[in-house]
Amino acid sequence: MVDFSLSAEAESLRDLARKFARSEMAPHAAECDRGPRFPEEIYRKAHELGLMNLNVPSEYGGSGLGLFDQCVIVEELAYACGGMTTSIIANCLALEPILLGGSDEQKRRVLEPFCASYHLASFCLTEPGGGSDAGGLKTRARRDGDHYVLDGEKCFITNAPHASLYTVFATVDPAARHRGITAFVVPRSAEGVVPGKDEEKMGHRASSTSTVRFEHVQVPAADRLLADGEGFGLAMRTLDQTRTPIGALATGIAQAALDHAARYALKRETFGKPIAEHQAIQIKLANMAQAVHAARFLTWHAAWTIDRGGRGTLESSIAKCFASDAALHVADEAIQTFGGYGYMKEYPVEKLLRDAKLTQIYEGANEIQRTVIARELLRGYA
Amino acid sequence: MEIVVCVKPVPEAESRLRPDAAGTGFDPDGVKFVLAGYDESAVEQALLLRQAVAGSTVSVVALGPAARVDEVLRASIALGCDRATAVEAADLPLADPVATGRALAEAIAALGRHDLVLFGKQAGDDEEGLVGAATAEALGVPFVGHVIDLRPAEGGGRFTFRRSVERGEERWEAPLPLAVGLQQAWNDPRTATLPAILRSRKATIGRRAAAPAPASSGSSAPVRFALPPPRQGAKMIEFATPEEAARKLVRLLQEEAKVFP
Repeated sequence: MVDFSLSAEAESLRDLARKFARSEMAPHAAECDRGPRFPEEIYRKAHELGLMNLNVPSEYGGSGLGLFDQCVIVEELAYACGGMTTSIIANCLALEPILLGGSDEQKRRVLEPFCASYHLASFCLTEPGGGSDAGGLKTRARRDGDHYVLDGEKCFITNAPHASLYTVFATVDPAARHRGITAFVVPRSAEGVVPGKDEEKMGHRASSTSTVRFEHVQVPAADRLLADGEGFGLAMRTLDQTRTPIGALATGIAQAALDHAARYALKRETFGKPIAEHQAIQIKLANMAQAVHAARFLTWHAAWTIDRGGRGTLESSIAKCFASDAALHVADEAIQTFGGYGYMKEYPVEKLLRDAKLTQIYEGANEIQRTVIARELLRGYA
Repeated sequence: MEIVVCVKPVPEAESRLRPDAAGTGFDPDGVKFVLAGYDESAVEQALLLRQAVAGSTVSVVALGPAARVDEVLRASIALGCDRATAVEAADLPLADPVATGRALAEAIAALGRHDLVLFGKQAGDDEEGLVGAATAEALGVPFVGHVIDLRPAEGGGRFTFRRSVERGEERWEAPLPLAVGLQQAWNDPRTATLPAILRSRKATIGRRAAAPAPASSGSSAPVRFALPPPRQGAKMIEFATPEEAARKLVRLLQEEAKVFP
């Protein structure tokens, strides 16, 4: 029979994440958003507690969690701060290509020292000329003896200014489009790796985002993942794994917005009674609660599907797309519930709207998710 | 050195408790029981002492219904305790500190040597603060409560600790064996890491049934459990002098609150 309850193990992981989120992250969320400030001390602590490299098997020094457990943790973290959560889980995205495509030798050589102490990694796919059109990327990789030379620029790269490791997608043959794309592991210390300045962002301001330029960077052939031309498939399989936790992140933001709105509605009085007793607000809260519930269970279902060995492309796209739309909607309604106060930076809900917005855009824009959903859907009718 | 820590599963701080059908306790349905407060400090103290005294081990013991005690024992193992014993007692009169102390003492004695027995100075839920002393009495070990900063004394064999008392602080030194009730949060209890939590889920928990309490042991039992009445709005007293404030307060206490005639 289907079971919608958390296992005792998942519950204890949730408790850890909740405790960390509420005692370490939440008290600094507003200040880091305002700054903006990249709270490295919080990320270090997340690493110490094992909340950082969640998807890396324990034999390589990670936490070795399945997708479901990752989602339970990510929702709790995002409840406290979406931006910090993005920076904490960026390692999962950056390291996933190594987990999926790396040889055992590469995994040991790269992941063990990386996970043993606090390090950040960045996933470098998107370019100034195109994010969703990943097949058309321009960064070049030219083979030269026993190494490759990388030239090009990536943009919107999470944690890039602070990362010590980059997984980079570049083309060995632009004419071959996505069949030319090849993946590499590049250390920050390699000559010619130049992260740009921090972007000024609307939300997720506790996270750090910049361009990364690769200027004639020599990468040993031993640091190529899979074969030439196999990078595009690797990137897509990576995103199949990491899309679902974005649904969890959006769910955490949405739950926070609902909690703020419900508490405020019980306290704030108009026309002689708490606004929670006005039907207009009750309907709002009821709709918000439906959206949060559905977002969580779609996310859990996608994670469960993938943990059971399913491909989960359809399920994870549905979860990510629905949950991120829900987060934006619920945050918007939370502001409306607060009225004028909700629009003020002194109150916590406007930040939730700004943070929610990004979840519709990154790790596959929702337009792309809908394309994927339609493709998967129609395949069943053709 | 063999250190034993006794911990109690208590309702999570945010729990909303409701009276049970009998009206003598709270309804445990839907309540999450956790390791909390004073007990966390006791576990932390045990782990610090294990570090200070080479070759020490830390055993943790909890009494209550199996599902509840397992969670706090696993939480203690995740923090670093070496072994755990569940004293399963579905029917024991849990609110009776003497019966609880006797059952814990039996379990501790069965573990073998016990040089130091640690408790939170009181439980995080009923805050009675009696079980530590009752257990120590049943074990025949001296007990000191409200303790902070327990450490091995120089020269070995004895331990020093401090107690906060009104307007000052007592410094003690005592030999083993000893039972101690520890203050909350003075030692900044550690947080278990994710890998430690995963390992703790697979740890083996020793189990024993609590000896049935003799009928005559019922030294105390709760008569009624009820929620406090809903809080009324506070009334601010405006005043120019302390005398005026006192006069107004006494009048309100007599006429409105009717606390005394």
